[in-house]
Amino acid sequence: MTATVTAEVSSTVRSTGKRRRTTELGLLVLAVIIILGAYALASLGRNASLPADIWPFLVVLLALLVGAHVANRRLARCADSLLLPIAALLNGIGYVFIARLDKDLAALQASWTAVGIGAYVATLVVIRDVRVLQRYRYTAGLVGVVLLVMPLFPVLGRNINGARIWVSLGPVGFQPGEIAKIAFAIFFAGYLVERRELLGVATFRVGPFNTPDPKHFAPILLAWGISLVVLIFQRDLGSALLFFLLFVIMIWVGTGRVSYLVVGSVLFLIGAFASWKAFGHVRRRVDVWINPWADPHGSGYQIIQAAYALAWGGTSGVGPGLGIAGRIPYDSTDFIFAVIGEELGLLGTTAVLCAFLLLAGSGLRIARESRDPFPALLAVGLTVLIAFQAFVIMGGVTRLLPLTGVTLPFVSYGGSSLVSNYVLLALLVRISDQTARRGPDRLLVR
Amino acid sequence: MKRQIKALGLVILLCYLALFLKLNQVQVLEAQSLSDRPDNTRQLQRDFNQPRGDIVSADQQLVATSVDVHAPLRYQRRYPTRDLFSAVTGYYSFTLGSDGVERSYNEELAGRTASLRLHRLSGFFSDSSSEGNVVLTVRQDLQQTAKDALGDRPGSVVALDPRTGAILAMWSNPTFDPNAVSNNDTKAAKAAKDLYEQAAANPMLPKAYRERYFPGSTFKVVTATAGLTSGKVTTTTPEFPVVTSYTPPGTSHAISNFDGMACGGTLFTVLARSCNSSFAQMAAEVTGPDPMVAAAEAAGFNQAPPIDLPRPAASAYPTDFGKVTQRPDGKAPVYESTAMLALTGIGQGDVRSTPLQMALVAAGVGNRGEIMTPHVMAEIKARDGEVVQRYRTSPWKESMTPEIAATLREGMIGVVTGGTAQIMQTPGWEVGAKTGTAQLGVKPPRSHGWMIAFAGPPGEPAHVAVAVIVQDLPGVGDETGGTTAGPVAKAVLDKALAVLG
Repeated sequence: MTATVTAEVSSTVRSTGKRRRTTELGLLVLAVIIILGAYALASLGRNASLPADIWPFLVVLLALLVGAHVANRRLARCADSLLLPIAALLNGIGYVFIARLDKDLAALQASWTAVGIGAYVATLVVIRDVRVLQRYRYTAGLVGVVLLVMPLFPVLGRNINGARIWVSLGPVGFQPGEIAKIAFAIFFAGYLVERRELLGVATFRVGPFNTPDPKHFAPILLAWGISLVVLIFQRDLGSALLFFLLFVIMIWVGTGRVSYLVVGSVLFLIGAFASWKAFGHVRRRVDVWINPWADPHGSGYQIIQAAYALAWGGTSGVGPGLGIAGRIPYDSTDFIFAVIGEELGLLGTTAVLCAFLLLAGSGLRIARESRDPFPALLAVGLTVLIAFQAFVIMGGVTRLLPLTGVTLPFVSYGGSSLVSNYVLLALLVRISDQTARRGPDRLLVR
Repeated sequence: MKRQIKALGLVILLCYLALFLKLNQVQVLEAQSLSDRPDNTRQLQRDFNQPRGDIVSADQQLVATSVDVHAPLRYQRRYPTRDLFSAVTGYYSFTLGSDGVERSYNEELAGRTASLRLHRLSGFFSDSSSEGNVVLTVRQDLQQTAKDALGDRPGSVVALDPRTGAILAMWSNPTFDPNAVSNNDTKAAKAAKDLYEQAAANPMLPKAYRERYFPGSTFKVVTATAGLTSGKVTTTTPEFPVVTSYTPPGTSHAISNFDGMACGGTLFTVLARSCNSSFAQMAAEVTGPDPMVAAAEAAGFNQAPPIDLPRPAASAYPTDFGKVTQRPDGKAPVYESTAMLALTGIGQGDVRSTPLQMALVAAGVGNRGEIMTPHVMAEIKARDGEVVQRYRTSPWKESMTPEIAATLREGMIGVVTGGTAQIMQTPGWEVGAKTGTAQLGVKPPRSHGWMIAFAGPPGEPAHVAVAVIVQDLPGVGDETGGTTAGPVAKAVLDKALAVLG
C-alpha cells in the first residue's frame, strides 16, 4: 500500500517537474525576446542604431538564464515555473533602463546580475532542505541583528545620501540590511512555528478582551524596537517600514490572531507619529508627500520631476530611449519606476505591476500548498518582503505613499538588493520544489 | 494559517489596485494638466537640446535654422533673413513661446511626426535625429520686393497663387527681428519683447493675417458678387443714377462720392469708377441683406481662414440688419439697419477684413469662383532632403459660381483698362483689380489705401492675386488707393509674374 502510493507520487512528481521546467523554459525564451527587443528599441530611440553590443548582450543574457534554468532542472526539478522567468524579466527590463541612463552603472549591474544568479544557484546547492533553516533560527536572528547594526560601526559604516546603511569592506560597498531582511524572515518563521500555540492562545484578560499573555508580545516589541533603531540611527524609513510589516504580518499569519495586527497597527501609528514629531527628515517627507509644489526646486523637486515624467509618458509612453534622461535624481535606483513610466507609459508601469503581483501570487500559492508550517510561513515572509518593498517604492514614486527610499526589487540598480533578492527567490524556489516533490496536501489526502 | 494567507493575498491585491488607480490618475487623467504646468519645462527643455529643422523659402533661401551654442540650452534659433520673414516664421523662444510657422509646424520641425520618425529609421544611413525642414511657399525675392515697395509706410502685402492657395509673399510693416526675441538668454529676449510691445504699431503682430481693417471700396467686389448672385443686378440693369451722393432710406446721412464727383451707370461702369452712391444703393435697395451676408460668408467672412498659421483673425461682416420697418410701393423693403447695409456695400460700417481675406476675394474672382485653402507650407523634408510630406491643396470656399466669376473678372479687368486701377496695367497679362480707400475719420481726414488684384494669361485662371494695404494715410480721395497701394501691388505682381510665369 505504502509502496504503491510512493510510486504513484513519484511518477506524478516526475511528470509535474517535467511540465513545469518546460513551461519555465518557454517563459524564459519569452522574457529574453522582450528584454532583447526593449534593449534594441532603447538604443534605436537614442542613437537610431542597434546597440553595438547586442550580440554579446544576448549571449550573456542567455548564458545567465540558461544557467539558472539548468540549475532548476538539476536542483529544483519540481519548483514553480513562474518565479524565475518573472524575476528574469524584471531584472532584464531594469537593466535595459539602467543601460539607457548610465552605461557605467549598467556594466556594474551586469556583473551584479551574474553574482546574483551565482548566489541563486549557490543557495539551491547549499540548501537542499529548507526545514534545516528552522534549526538555525536563532543564528539567523543574530546574523540579522549584526548585519543591521553593522553600518553603525565607525570603521565599517558609511553615510551615503543621509542614510547610514552602507558597509564597505575594502573596495566593495554593500547594504547588509538587504540580507538582514531574509535572515529576519527565517528567524521569525522559525520562532513563530515554535511558539505559535502559545502565541495563539488567549489567556489574558484586558477588560472585555481576551488577549495572549503579554510576555508573548515580546517579539513584536522587539521588531518594533529594531525598526525604530533603523529609523533613528540609519534614517532609512523604507527599510524600517518593511521590517515592521514583515514582523506584524508574519505574526498574524503564523498565529491567526487579528489582535496582533491591531496591536501592530497601533504601535506603528505611535511610532510614525513620534518620529514625525521628533525627526525633521520624516516631517519633510510627509510635507513633500502632501504638497510637493510647496518647494518645487528643493525638497519637492524629485517627486515633482517623477510626476512630470510619468505624466509625460501618458498611456503608451514616449518610447524606450526617447524620454528625457537625467531629470530625476536617483533615476536608476529608487526612481527607475518613473523612467519606465515615462518611456513605456501606463502600459509599461501596469506590466511591471502585474509582474510583481504574479510574483506575490506565486509566493503565496507556494505558502498555501506547503504542508509544513515553517516553509509555509517562510514563504509568506519572503513574499511580503518582495511584494511590499515593490509597493512601497512604487507608491512613493507615484505619490500614493510618502516617499521612502528603497529599491524596486530586481529592477533598480544595486548589487546588494539584486543579490539578496536572488537568494530570496532561490529560497522560494526551494520551498515550492520541496512541496511539489513531497506532494501537496491534497495529493496525500486522496 | 491558510485563511490568513488568502486574506494577505487580498490585501496585496488591494494595495496594487490602489497603485494602479494612482498610476491612471497621474499618467492619464491628470497627465495633460501636469504636462501643462508652467514649471514643467520638459517639452521645452527637450526641444532646445535637440537640433530643430530649418525653414527654407520657396526659392531656397534659408530663413530659420538652429545653431549649436554649446550652452545649457544647446540650440538657439537663428533667422538669417532677419525681419524679412517674421510675419510667416514667427519666433521660437525658450521663455516667450513661439508663433508663426515655428508654432504651427513645431512637431515637424522637432521631428516628432510619425512619418519623420519612420523615415529616420528606414534610411540606409540612419540619422541620429529626425528633425524635418519646412519648405515654404513664400519666396524671398517677393518678400524683398514687397518690403522695398512698401518702404517705411505701415501696411501689409499678401500675394498668393489663386490656383493652389499657396502664399507667395506676406509682409507687414512695422515688423520685428525674430533673432532678438528668440534669444536663449531669458533677459535679452524679454527686453527685446518689451521694447517691441512699447512701440506704437505692435510690430510683433503679423498684421497680414491677424489684424482687421475697413476694406473700403475693395469690398465692392463682394457687393457686386451679391448683386449678381441674387439676379437683381446684371451687366445691363439696373442703371444707377448719376449723382454726387446717395441717402439710404431711414437716415439723413448721405453717402458721398469722392471729391463730390457725379457718378453712376451700369455695373461695369460703377465698378470701374468706384461709385460709392451706386454700390451703397445696390446693397441697400437692390440686393438686400440676405444675399449680401451670403456673398460675404461665401467669400470667407465671419470665419477664420484655415491657413496653416496660428490664430488667424476672422474677417467680419454683420449678419443681422434688423426687421423690416417699411415696405414702400415699387421699392425694396427698408430694414432697421438699412443705413448700415448701405455702408457695408462700400466696405465701411461694420465690415472688417484682414489683408489676407481681401487677397482671397481677388483670388476667388481670378480662379473661377473657387477659393483654395491658403497655406505657407509647400513640403516637409527629412534631413537627407527627401520629401516626407507635401501640402495637399484643397478648395476652401466657392465664393461665386464660375459664370458670375467670369462676369466679375471682366468687370475687374475693366477697372484696370479704363478705371481707377489703370496703374496695374501689365502688357501681356490679363490683370483685374479694385482700388479702395477706407475712410477712417473726417477731422483730419485719414484713410487706408487698398489695392486688390489678380493677374494671369488671358482667359485662364489667374496665377497671382495680391492685396496691399497702406495704412493711415492723410486725406481721402478716390485716387488714394490707386496711388499709394497701387504701385506696391504692381511691383509685387510684376515680380511674381516674372519669377512664376
